[in-house]
Amino acid sequence: MKSGSRWYRFGIQVAAVVLALVFTSIILLIAKAQPLEAYKNILVGSFSSIEAITNVIVVWIPLLLASAGALVTFTAGLWNIGIEGQITLGAISTTLVLRLLQHSDVSPAIIIFLAVLSGFIGGALWAALAGALKTYGGVNEIFGGLGLNFVATAMTIWLIFGPWKRPGIGSMSGTEPFANTLWLPTIPGLRLSWWSLLIGILALVLVYVLLSNTHFGLKLKAVGKNRKAASVFGIPTSNFMMSAFLICGGLAGLAGALQVLAVYHRLIPSISSGYGYLGLMVGMLINYQAIWAAPVAFFFAALNFGSIQLPIVMKLDSSLSGVLQGALVLFVLMMDGVRKRFEKKA
Amino acid sequence: MKVELRSIHKYFGPVHANNNISLTILPGTIQGIVGENGAGKSTLMKILSGFIQADEGEILLDDQVITIHSPSDALKRGIGMLHQDPLDFPPMKVIDNLLIGQEGGLFPNKRKVAADIKKLANQFGFSIDTEAYVEGLTVGERQQLEIIRLLWMGARILILDEPTTGISASQKEKLFETLTRLASEGMIVIFVSHKLEEIETLCHRAAVFRGGLLVGEAIQPYHTDDLVRLMFGKPMELGSRLGCHSEENVVEIHNLEIEDPRLHIRDVDLDVKAGEVIGLAGMEGSGQRLFLRALGGLLATTGRTKLLVKGHDLTHEPYSSYLKTGVAYVPADRMEEGLIPGLTLKEHFILTGDTKKLFIDQEESLHRTKVKISEFNIKGRPDSYVEELSGGNQQRALLALLNEPLSLVLLEHPSRGLDLESTIWLWEKLKERCKTGTAVIFISSDLEQILHYSDRILVFFGGKVSKPMLAAETNVDQLGQLIGGKGFVN
Amino acid sequence: MKKNVIWRTIVVFMLASMLVSACAPAATPAPTAEPAKPAEPTKAAEPAAAEPTKAPEPTKAEAAAPTAAGEFTFGIVMVGPYNDHGWSEASYLAGQYVEKMVPGTKMIYIDKVNSADRPGTTGDQLAEELVSKGAKLIVFNSDDFKDASVEFKKNNPTIPVLHISGDLAWKDGKNYKEMEGYSNLMSQMEYGEMIGGCAAALTTQTGKIGYVGPLINDETRRFANATYLGAKHCWETYAKKDPKDLKMKVTWIGFWFNIPGVTADPSTVSDDFLNSGHDVLISALDTMEALVQTKKAVDGGKKAWAVAYDYKDACNEAPDVCLGVRYFNWGPGYVKAVKAVMDGSFKSYWEWAAPDWKDINNPDTSAMGFNKGKGLSEENAKNLDAFIGELAGGLNLWTGPIKWQDGTDFLKDGEKATDQQIWYQPQLLEGIEGLSVAP
Repeated sequence: MKSGSRWYRFGIQVAAVVLALVFTSIILLIAKAQPLEAYKNILVGSFSSIEAITNVIVVWIPLLLASAGALVTFTAGLWNIGIEGQITLGAISTTLVLRLLQHSDVSPAIIIFLAVLSGFIGGALWAALAGALKTYGGVNEIFGGLGLNFVATAMTIWLIFGPWKRPGIGSMSGTEPFANTLWLPTIPGLRLSWWSLLIGILALVLVYVLLSNTHFGLKLKAVGKNRKAASVFGIPTSNFMMSAFLICGGLAGLAGALQVLAVYHRLIPSISSGYGYLGLMVGMLINYQAIWAAPVAFFFAALNFGSIQLPIVMKLDSSLSGVLQGALVLFVLMMDGVRKRFEKKA
Repeated sequence: MKVELRSIHKYFGPVHANNNISLTILPGTIQGIVGENGAGKSTLMKILSGFIQADEGEILLDDQVITIHSPSDALKRGIGMLHQDPLDFPPMKVIDNLLIGQEGGLFPNKRKVAADIKKLANQFGFSIDTEAYVEGLTVGERQQLEIIRLLWMGARILILDEPTTGISASQKEKLFETLTRLASEGMIVIFVSHKLEEIETLCHRAAVFRGGLLVGEAIQPYHTDDLVRLMFGKPMELGSRLGCHSEENVVEIHNLEIEDPRLHIRDVDLDVKAGEVIGLAGMEGSGQRLFLRALGGLLATTGRTKLLVKGHDLTHEPYSSYLKTGVAYVPADRMEEGLIPGLTLKEHFILTGDTKKLFIDQEESLHRTKVKISEFNIKGRPDSYVEELSGGNQQRALLALLNEPLSLVLLEHPSRGLDLESTIWLWEKLKERCKTGTAVIFISSDLEQILHYSDRILVFFGGKVSKPMLAAETNVDQLGQLIGGKGFVN
Repeated sequence: MKKNVIWRTIVVFMLASMLVSACAPAATPAPTAEPAKPAEPTKAAEPAAAEPTKAPEPTKAEAAAPTAAGEFTFGIVMVGPYNDHGWSEASYLAGQYVEKMVPGTKMIYIDKVNSADRPGTTGDQLAEELVSKGAKLIVFNSDDFKDASVEFKKNNPTIPVLHISGDLAWKDGKNYKEMEGYSNLMSQMEYGEMIGGCAAALTTQTGKIGYVGPLINDETRRFANATYLGAKHCWETYAKKDPKDLKMKVTWIGFWFNIPGVTADPSTVSDDFLNSGHDVLISALDTMEALVQTKKAVDGGKKAWAVAYDYKDACNEAPDVCLGVRYFNWGPGYVKAVKAVMDGSFKSYWEWAAPDWKDINNPDTSAMGFNKGKGLSEENAKNLDAFIGELAGGLNLWTGPIKWQDGTDFLKDGEKATDQQIWYQPQLLEGIEGLSVAP
């Protein structure tokens, strides 16, 4: 019975993936494109060379951070849709530190360290705002988060076109790039930085341990599952919700910091690149099990990066990857519901 | 309308919840269904009302074999079920809850519906405010609402699952009156209960369930001993009064005052001795719950209130101070406030253990959980999710989760949903606590229980609180008078 | 539980739609259909082809020269959609032109390359994708790609790069950076601006011209100034009016196109112009607001006209009020670069491609053109042609005395501006109302 149901569950998941592919294929066919060719192009685009794979990893890292953060807030029963803005604020804070110190005598390593730290703090504080709105203001974190996302975006644009504009220029491409010394060093010839990778993996491992093996994590889970009962158990629920926001925001802020330090080397308007939303989707897809975050986020990253082939090779819009990702989450949820219904009857 | 169930089988995994049940109910009958928790009563009722489907067997309505796919399907055929946990939408108004169940009409005629409901409610002496929000209602009021709703939607066969838990004696009386009248009008009432007394008073016939089997049927007049033997396989008796209090004060309450939008409790003075048991009686919503929550630190008091537990002034302290001083609160709504669905038993025990360290000691907590499970006879494994446990086992788990030692245990309706055996067991456990000096204060709508187990009793009426009465010198009638508001001086 | 699933489903929908729209503009408020025009199309020139690199004169020779058997692939990185009816479409058309004119060539492209439309990617990264698909030459079509093109060049030193606009390859420019196989191309759009200014001056009845400008930099100041010089010249020479009566006001919106909540709204800016007596609007944006608002005003009974920008057929939007459009023609410049790469002669160069004065609308020879609109009267059209003739004949409007807005000398009496002076303009000219630098 036990092992049987495990295979059964696995089968259900596979069915969900197949359905998502079928769904996406239908959309492709409607767009008069060959689904198999599209999937092949995505695969080839993601895995055909060491460059491609490392490029996927470059996308994977911020996604990993966002997913790990999302897991923490999910555990506390919170939909921190503001991750996007928290990434942005992390990026802004990082840029601020870099701008303040770039012409100083401080050694680049220290500047970079401070910048990463500042990114963490910036993201955490921005999340704290959403958290305070939720915990003390009674504003649903989804609405608060969305609002703050907009504010973060507006702030970025204002900074880029205003106080931080490039001399004589006001361009959507962003602020003046930082000197090479302030870039996180990458593997020669590739875009991937070991440092970023280390931070990303470390963050996920920490979140995994935190959620699965600490009293803090269990209390967070209790708060997420039943806030009323948790407070009867003597858990200060507001504090725990705030902590979840802070941790999630901090991780998101790290993602923003790495986007500035290792990817764009400056502040750009959409520095968060939608990773916040994508991270939430990863969180839902894995049903909040931290252990699956790494592979699923990697898969999403590969889809994101590989889909760039579509406009180049097939003149298709690359937002197809978004369709596939969304369909995956929907079908997995749906099949999960079907399974539960089925099990109830059985 | 006649209902016939033929050879119904239902399995939940390895559990054979209904084993070859056959039962015929004629029109105009109040059919009692008795049995202890987990005997299969609710399962059968859920099958009849369309919430779940039988694995085998047939349902016949007026000799026609029918298939019931869903509750709304059942309701269309005139079968309406009232649940232990009323299913409604708490953050909405009563009237809107009613309209949700109504078919057709994009723009429902609210006024007419409200009038209909009021009329129905008046018939049965229920007072229902259609503009009130459901979340503000007590369990009793919600059940009344649900009964009215089912009748209003045209139910001809009314299934009531433990309907008297949580409602007052007078509400119960009205309910029984109502049900009798409905039956006399030719309707079928199926009355599920584990309270023999109620079955004996109300029901024309009774079917007794045990372990998934229909073990016997009886008709009026009943022989209680026979029923008990059928239910438990042996006769049962309530335990004795705990009677283990000392002279030492554990709790001192001075000038207790609580402000609530609906009630105002003031000037309550009470000393509670170590080991003493105090029962709080009163109709739902008379203030006893507010009182209990205030003592537990879950509700702020106002005015000149002074609250001391074991000599510590806890008056304006946070809830955590109450916990530290050994005050424990056991809510009635186990799945809402008491336990955390989605967490396992073991995780619950971790939470109530020492959580100061960063990492969880998995082995220690597993061991502790196993010990508690066997000590409290909980039917579950350390990795069972609490929502998978039956009501009685959830209550056992709640008790098992209480820390030791405690100064004061506060319980809301501790025996709600429990069968007699579980109730007796529960009080045995509480007795052990009392012996170590823990005071117990509990709310119950079961007057017998209050009289039986309490040392002293407080009666609440509309926020007023009676003087403490010695249970040994009080009887049901006196209590009933007070609960009804007679005899309050101020 | 069930509620939870429903809830989750709703959120997935929300997220999915956000993502999909994020794939469009996550951060930057919707770039109106048209992605920006590259940041700054730079150009300027001197009368007639002072440039040694006169715009290519490829035509016949090329068509005749069949290019071996092997296919030559070149890649274009476009900032906006390839079909934006604006800046990027001009590049796309140029790519098609190359395929037609140089047999055996094939264009591949990646469009919408900006962080809002393709989050998480960089221009250089996407260019490398084109290389992995076989591109032997990468064209970056926007000034926006200045950093990306340099980064790309650094990591892919063997792949030739043509960056549209920009001055990094200009040895005599201020920002010269020695990079092998890295070139710039820009049309001498100053002339287009002068012609547009002239059309406006000939048409205006109130003597007030409104210039709806994008952001402020050397290039946009250059263009606004060129417009003014053209307008002033025609005002005096053809309309025979007093220069004191000609007013030109520039309002910068803050970017190449409208970003709601960030830039000034170009529609509002246009309306303000029209409501304050300006009867000719000149658009320097990627989008059509000036033309559209002018049409609305005319439909409402006003007398007004507009000059469009960027895209050859922009006047179609509102033909009757359109005096004409100055547009880019990149085809010849692309052909030159492709051929040079094919025969191995591609080197670093900076090309400020001139119009073909014999016929500025010749698609094979002229780097920019001006399409007259229906709004231009016959008489004014004649005068405009006369002005174009003057320019073709060597008229240099960058001749002193010209003063900056702050009253200091730009060019002394009789002095002619150098290329550097034309390219890098720090201020608006005296006589233009509007900001010279960002506040």
